[in-house]
Amino acid sequence: MGYLAKLPRVFRPESVMVIGASNNPDKLGYHVMKSLVKGGYPGRIFPINPNSSVVWDLPAFPDLDKVSGDVDLAIIAVPAQVVPGVLEGCHRKGVQGIVLITAGFSEIEDPAGGSLQERVRKMADAWSLPIIGPNTFGFVDLNTSLNASFTPEFSLLSKGGIALVSQSGGFCHLSGFRALDENVGFSKIIGLGNRCNMDFPDILPYLADDPDTRVIALYIEGMDEPRRLLDAARKVRGRKPIVAYKAGRGESGDSASRFHTGSLAGRYEIYRGAFRQGGILEVGDTEELLDTAKALDTLAPLQGNRVAVLSSQAGPGMIACDVCEAHGLCLVDFSPTIQERINELLPPLAIRTNPVDMGPAWYNPGAIIGIMEAVIEDPGIDGVVFLAMYASANIALAGEMRKYFEEREPLTKPLTACFSAPSPIWSEDVKVMDRKKGMVFLPTPERAARTMGNLWSLTRLLS
Amino acid sequence: MAGIDEILIGMDALEFLQHRGFPALRSEAARQPQEAIDAAQEIGFPVALKISSPDILHKTEVKGVLVDLRDEAEVKEGFERLWTEVISLRPEARIEEVVVQEMGRGREVIIGATHDTQFGPVIMFGLGGIFVEVLQDVSFRVIPIEGKDAQEMIRELRGFPILSGARGGEVNLEAIGALLLRVSSLVNNSPDIREMDLNPVFVNAKGCAISDARIRMKG
Repeated sequence: MGYLAKLPRVFRPESVMVIGASNNPDKLGYHVMKSLVKGGYPGRIFPINPNSSVVWDLPAFPDLDKVSGDVDLAIIAVPAQVVPGVLEGCHRKGVQGIVLITAGFSEIEDPAGGSLQERVRKMADAWSLPIIGPNTFGFVDLNTSLNASFTPEFSLLSKGGIALVSQSGGFCHLSGFRALDENVGFSKIIGLGNRCNMDFPDILPYLADDPDTRVIALYIEGMDEPRRLLDAARKVRGRKPIVAYKAGRGESGDSASRFHTGSLAGRYEIYRGAFRQGGILEVGDTEELLDTAKALDTLAPLQGNRVAVLSSQAGPGMIACDVCEAHGLCLVDFSPTIQERINELLPPLAIRTNPVDMGPAWYNPGAIIGIMEAVIEDPGIDGVVFLAMYASANIALAGEMRKYFEEREPLTKPLTACFSAPSPIWSEDVKVMDRKKGMVFLPTPERAARTMGNLWSLTRLLS
Repeated sequence: MAGIDEILIGMDALEFLQHRGFPALRSEAARQPQEAIDAAQEIGFPVALKISSPDILHKTEVKGVLVDLRDEAEVKEGFERLWTEVISLRPEARIEEVVVQEMGRGREVIIGATHDTQFGPVIMFGLGGIFVEVLQDVSFRVIPIEGKDAQEMIRELRGFPILSGARGGEVNLEAIGALLLRVSSLVNNSPDIREMDLNPVFVNAKGCAISDARIRMKG
């Protein structure tokens, strides 16, 4: 259809036109302009507004035909009824793709919304014009500093390898703001909205080729043709991990019993099966989606299910063990030479076998780091969950860790960590280490362990 | 009858499947007590008797299944009791025949296939009885499936330990996998089949055999 060939220009446009650009904060076009300008988009911006000659300190054009030069991307924030005319103008102008923020299409009760969307879809199909939306907040591309959305704060997100594709703009806001707190980095966040002609399966092949994207995270509510997603995911399989969070599971309870009477309502159950067939790792909540994507973006793959839990306190270590085992991970014995090294570093006051209680080494960050180093080198260990709760006596730990990791090569096995301390103690050190050298830091032992478990689930899924 | 779906039950469904290479328990239809006795002798005791009616979906609710009948007298008495009791409970039901069947051995599982409005043909696997009805412990896949999918469908059930050996004999998981693949392949290649319900299928260490089936064909 030619959509796919245009997407690189849509996400890396040299110029952007905003139809409905405004100086009035009561209009979405104001916030779109703010996102572009404040987000530091380096390309040319053409505001279109029939009533103002200057919008956001940029020269504005009364209509889009007056713009001189090529336009790659058009962001549309005008009332629904004028959208078809605007699209014709965009096509005349040779625009490569559209972000259609405008609402009032198939999501509204009035059937006129659905027919308007159908009309727009037919126009766009005839021109092979990709439309993100309608009824979307837009998208943000952190690598090109392009915030093509009505939320300027998305530009604050850190750059990373996760492409989040969501059916819901609200979910993008939820997870984007969580990500700010938890240091999750994105290549892109894309709100698909009503999915006029850009649905999950249409965007997957592009993301599979996108050099900025290492992990694809999906938030899915429901699709008209979910089999297309399965087919698209199979093509991406083995190239980049795909993690999905499916909402709207309510009917699942009926599925089994209804089967007896011949009507199968449990679509969620089918989604679950289809995800597995497509090699898509399913997660159950927002945090799990972000944690898992963060780990997949940064960590070495987990080759087997033999893990070590190293904890500065016994309790959090025990919690992590429970979660690890529930995910099919095994806490195996260390190799004899590694166990000897640990025994030399740790007095026999606590458990020195896996899971290791490193409490007796509180005053000695060097010993804790030495234990971690030994365990990482153990050929019988595939991954490490590393936990430390702050106590006044171990205050030096995070700083010493940071120094150690500045010097060393990245880890070749995944390490998920939880360092818990009252801010600002350890905060800066953890921030510097997080997502670097093959480690991620997560807020609780459960989440550190669950994330390791999900790495294993993905390894098994793709085996 | 064009446009109206045809539903195969009882012997019709079992024969439909057997002709396509599906494993089923030895079964014969009987309309008279003597036919039932003859069938039981041919199959070998003990046998089960099951009422077959297009109007009865859940046979056990109308006491329509008798198991472990060990000799001619039990079969004769069972046949008569089955016919009378079902008619007294469901006088309007059309009773076509009684199926005389060898006793199934092992665990009961369910395999289903249907057309989902969004996904198209899909396949379901579950453990029989309360596992499906109460715990809704089932797995689904989109048709067609591969061998790996079939084994995952079996293993992802919460009740999987029941099949893998906990509290009782192990069952032949390869045979279940092969049956799932056979259902997937049949539905994938037969657009006329709208729904299939193999319930129950008996599985044991040797293999699996379909005890009862219901197939909805496009009219």
